[in-house]
Amino acid sequence: MRRIDSVYGRVEILKRVLEKPTKQSHAFSASRSFSTEGAYGGGGESQQNSSRVKIFDRDLKRRDRAAWLSRNKNDTFVDAVAENLLDRLEDCKKSFPSALCLGGSLGAVQRLLRARGGIEKLIMMDTSHDMIKSCRDAQDDNSIETSYLVGDEEFLPIKESSVDLIISSLGLHWTNDLPGSMIQCKLALKPDGLFLAAILGGETLKFVLELRIACTLAHMEREGGISPRLSPLAQVRDAGNLLTRAGFSLPGVDVDEYVVKYKSALDLIEHLRAMGETNALLQRNKAKFSIFLSRIFSILNRETALATAAIYDSMFATEDGTIPATFQVIYMTGWKEHSSHPQAKRRGSATVSFTDIHKQFGGQS
Amino acid sequence: MVRLSRVMLKEAGNAIDKTLSEILVCPLSKQPLRVCEKTKSLVSDTIGVSFPIKDGIPCLVPKDGKILEEDGDASKAS
Repeated sequence: MRRIDSVYGRVEILKRVLEKPTKQSHAFSASRSFSTEGAYGGGGESQQNSSRVKIFDRDLKRRDRAAWLSRNKNDTFVDAVAENLLDRLEDCKKSFPSALCLGGSLGAVQRLLRARGGIEKLIMMDTSHDMIKSCRDAQDDNSIETSYLVGDEEFLPIKESSVDLIISSLGLHWTNDLPGSMIQCKLALKPDGLFLAAILGGETLKFVLELRIACTLAHMEREGGISPRLSPLAQVRDAGNLLTRAGFSLPGVDVDEYVVKYKSALDLIEHLRAMGETNALLQRNKAKFSIFLSRIFSILNRETALATAAIYDSMFATEDGTIPATFQVIYMTGWKEHSSHPQAKRRGSATVSFTDIHKQFGGQS
Repeated sequence: MVRLSRVMLKEAGNAIDKTLSEILVCPLSKQPLRVCEKTKSLVSDTIGVSFPIKDGIPCLVPKDGKILEEDGDASKAS
């Protein structure tokens, strides 16, 4: 029997052996059929068993995020986003006995939860073991039974229809396969379950577009050549598509912009590094600017960071010398279908015509 | 009561707590997992992979999976 050395290879065998197509199997092929505008097209070389472009080095992300957590416990931007997300639980009449919290700013969600949403069992999941350990050590509220596990959003190890609520605050924008992750979330939810996510949007740091120019110049000077440091962030129009295609019912998208003022460009760059939003792009040395949306998340080595800051300050300093950086956060909500949700009626079953409605409400135009 | 899950991990020697054991499945095949007390891991029999439990926390990322030899012993995969 041929030895298969890759864990992924084992899955290929499994798929071929299974004659009966199960609902789970479509979670693997979904990434092939999705092509929303922007960065989620299926182009690129084939990696392992999917045709999606592998943009992010997830191992790098695992280590870096743990580092961020240990250094920045009071990041107000991150807290504001988590708070906004958790606030939505109070708007629902429903309570959610079991909740799964996906990586991103896990710590903020855990800290700010405060018994909202009627959650009795909380499961915290992240790709980084260190991050999960920090969360477990930091747990100070024992009124909610909390479990911890290390897992990947793109390969969700959660049984179908098993949790009432899934929350992800500033985590999903780092997945290579966002549509696939969202589908797996939908599958894991119980009927009438809720999916709540906050991701960074494509307009983030647009204001600092000039910083990108400065960064490019600095990089070219120092390291001779251009290395892509851009991250394909979703646009607001993509968010709605993503929710519908994942199969969520009653999708909702709204956007918030947070403007954070920095004393200097260097402070902004340092904050980005501290937030752990480091560049995990795999194709570091190929000039592929054209593929990505133009937002900055960079891992700048110290020298390039200083050079960038100097260029920016000299070219684009504002009147009072501060740098305003805009973070666009897209909030997505979706429900797992349930018989109580309003459904669109079957085509041809209308009992009232538009002409009647028009007559009813008057008006010539 | 709520600290029960941590107490169980340390004292009773159970590998994972009840909540997780009810909802966890293999990340790749989505099939149920078997707890292996001896190796402190969760085994996915359908694809023959075992996932470690480090410090009481199950690690179910595909990269952490170890491929099991045909005769059932765990061996390290690259």
